[in-house]
Amino acid sequence: MSYVSIRDLRKSYGDVQTLHGLNLGFEEGEFVVIVGPSGCGKSTLLRMIAGLEDITSGEIGIGGQVVNDVEPANRGCAMVFQNYALYPHMTVAGNIGYPLKLARVPRAEREQRVREAAEILGLTDYLDRRPKQLSGGQRQRVAMGRAIVRQPRLFLFDEPLSNLDAKMRVQMRIEIRRLHRRLSATSVLVTHDQVEAMTMADRLVVMNGGRIEQIGSPSEVYARPASAFVAGFLGAPAMNLLPATVDREGILRADMCPDRMLAGDLKLPSGTELTLGVRPEDFTVAPAGRGGLPAQVDLIEDLGGMRVAHCQLPGGYASAVLPRESAVREGTHVSLIPDVARLHAFDRVSGQRLAEVAVAGADAGRAESDARSEAFAPA
Amino acid sequence: MMTDAATLAPVQPRRRALALSGWDTGVGHALMILVSLVCVFPIYWMIVTSLRPENAIFSTRLWPDAASLDNYAYALRAVPMQRMLVNTFIVSAAVTAVQLLSGILAGYAFARWRFRGSAILFGAVALTWLVPLQVVMIPNYLLVARLGMIDTLGALILPHIASAFAIMLLAQSMRSFPTEVVEAARMDGGNHWQILWQVIVPNLRGTLASLAILIFITTWNEYFWPLLLTRSPENSVVQIGLQMFISSEGTQWGPLMAASTMASLPILLIYLVLQRQVISSFMKSGLR
Repeated sequence: MSYVSIRDLRKSYGDVQTLHGLNLGFEEGEFVVIVGPSGCGKSTLLRMIAGLEDITSGEIGIGGQVVNDVEPANRGCAMVFQNYALYPHMTVAGNIGYPLKLARVPRAEREQRVREAAEILGLTDYLDRRPKQLSGGQRQRVAMGRAIVRQPRLFLFDEPLSNLDAKMRVQMRIEIRRLHRRLSATSVLVTHDQVEAMTMADRLVVMNGGRIEQIGSPSEVYARPASAFVAGFLGAPAMNLLPATVDREGILRADMCPDRMLAGDLKLPSGTELTLGVRPEDFTVAPAGRGGLPAQVDLIEDLGGMRVAHCQLPGGYASAVLPRESAVREGTHVSLIPDVARLHAFDRVSGQRLAEVAVAGADAGRAESDARSEAFAPA
Repeated sequence: MMTDAATLAPVQPRRRALALSGWDTGVGHALMILVSLVCVFPIYWMIVTSLRPENAIFSTRLWPDAASLDNYAYALRAVPMQRMLVNTFIVSAAVTAVQLLSGILAGYAFARWRFRGSAILFGAVALTWLVPLQVVMIPNYLLVARLGMIDTLGALILPHIASAFAIMLLAQSMRSFPTEVVEAARMDGGNHWQILWQVIVPNLRGTLASLAILIFITTWNEYFWPLLLTRSPENSVVQIGLQMFISSEGTQWGPLMAASTMASLPILLIYLVLQRQVISSFMKSGLR
C-alpha cells in the first residue's frame, strides 16, 4: 500500500471545480515531483495533503491512516514554502527550533537537534542571525532545517526554488536531492519548472486543468508522453506538434506540406487525422530538397552545449537541434527530416497518445538515412 | 575653443536647475518654520505665562521679567494635582492596555477566522466608530450608575475597553501579515493562541506601539466623560483639575497655565521620546 494515497480527490471553490477526482499514490521514500502550468491545481493538491486546504470530497491517507480531518501538525509531514515563510522576529536557531518548542521538547534536546539540523544544512555559523540578514539560499536552508528538525516521514515542497537565482536554484536542487537521500523520507515537490521536475523526480506527476495527465519516471514521461499537453510541456526546447494525416496509402504526411512523405508502413488506419510530435533533437537538418519538411532557418539560439534552429515552415514553425559543427546559418533553406522511429502521434481532438507510429524499412526511413549522410558539412 | 564651448554648454541649464531647486527648498523650509512656530507658540506661551507673577500675567513680553514657580506651588496646593496626574496615568495606561488586548483578539478573529456573518459583524464594529460620544453617553452613564461605579476610576475605564478603531487597524494589519508564515506555524504545531502571541503580535510591534501612543494620548486628553462621572477631586483626572481654575468669579490664568503645563508634560515627554511612532500613529489613524 502506498505511503500517501489519494482517492477520488476533488476540490471546488463555489461552482468552480479545480481538482477533478484525482487518484494517485506515493511510495515510502520516493521523491515525487508534481509538475504543471500555473493554475493546474498542483499547489492546491499539495496544500490538501498538508491539511492547509479543506477537501471537498475524496480521501487522503498518510501512512495508512485517513487524514481528511487531522490537523496539519498531526499528519507527520513538514512543508517548505515558496517564500520560505520564516518567522522574521526569530533567529535562525529560533526558527529551526520553533516546532520543537511547540512540541514541548526539553531545551537541551531542542538545542541538540537544532545544531544537528544546522550542521546538515551548513547553517552552524548563522544560528544567531535573523532571516533578513540571510541570502535567499540560506533562508531556503533555514526553511528546510525547520522541516527536518521535526523528523517527519513526509516532506512537502511548494515551489521551493522559484525565488532563487538560476545558479542558486541548481545548487539547491542538488542539495534537496542529497537531503532526500540522507533522510530517505517520502518527498513531494511541486513546481512549474520542467527542468526541476525532470532532474529531481523519481516519479513525475504531470497535471493540467485539475487532472492528472501522466504519472511515470522522468525518462518514461519524456520518451512516451501520454498526451500532446505532456509532450509540449516537458522538454526544452519543446516538442514540435504538427497537424498530420495518414493518407489512403497509409503514408503519413504533414498537413502543411502534403506533398512530402514523413513515414510509411504505419500502424494507424488510413484517414487518421492526428497531431504529430517530433522532439527537436529528433529532426535532422539537411540541405534543402532532401525530403522531410522544407524550412527556412529563422533564428539560431546558441545554448553553449547545443544550438537550436527555429525554422519557418510553409504553415508554421518548428525547432531542431543542430550539431555543434553544423554550417547552417540564419536564412538558410533546409529540410527537416524526422527520425521516424521516434515520432509521437496524438489524437487531434482529445490530445491523447495514439498507437505507435511504428515504421519498418519504409521509404521515409531510407530517405532519412540518405539525408543524414548528406547533412551539412562542418563550417 | 570649440571643445570648451561644447563642454560648457550643458552645464549652464544644470546650474539653473540646481539654483531653482535651492530656492524651492529655501521657500519650503521658511514655510515649514513658520507653520512650526504657529504650532509651537501656544505651548511656549503657556509655559511662559505659568512662570509670570500674577500682576504681569497679561504681559506681552516674550520672556517673563521675573520668572517664578509660585503658580506651580499654588496649583499643587489648590487642587490635588499629583493625585490627579496619577489617576490620569492609571486610567490612560489601563485603557491603552485593555484596548490593545481587545483589539488584538478581535482583530485576529476578523482577520483569520472564517465564520458566518463575519463581514456583517465587522461592518457593525466599524459603524460604532462613527457613533459620537454624545449618543452613547446617557446609556453608558446609566449602566455605570447601576453598577455603582460613579466617581470611580473603573467607570472611566469600563466604556473604553474596546475600540472600533483599534479593532479595525489591527484586523487590517493582521490581514496583510503573510499567510504563509501563519500556515508555517500551523504546520509546526501552533494553535491559534500560540500563533497570535508568538508569531503575529511580535511582528506587529510597530503598529501596536503607534496605536498604544494614540490611545494613551486620546485618553489622557479626555474631558467630557470624566466630567460626567467624577464627583470628588481625589477620584478625578487632570483635565477636570484644570477646569477648577476657571470659575464664575474669573479665571486664575497663572495657576491654570502651571497646571496645564504639568498636565501636558507626560504627553510632551512621550512625543519627544517616541516622535517617529507618534507621527506614524497619527498618519495611520487617518481622519482622527
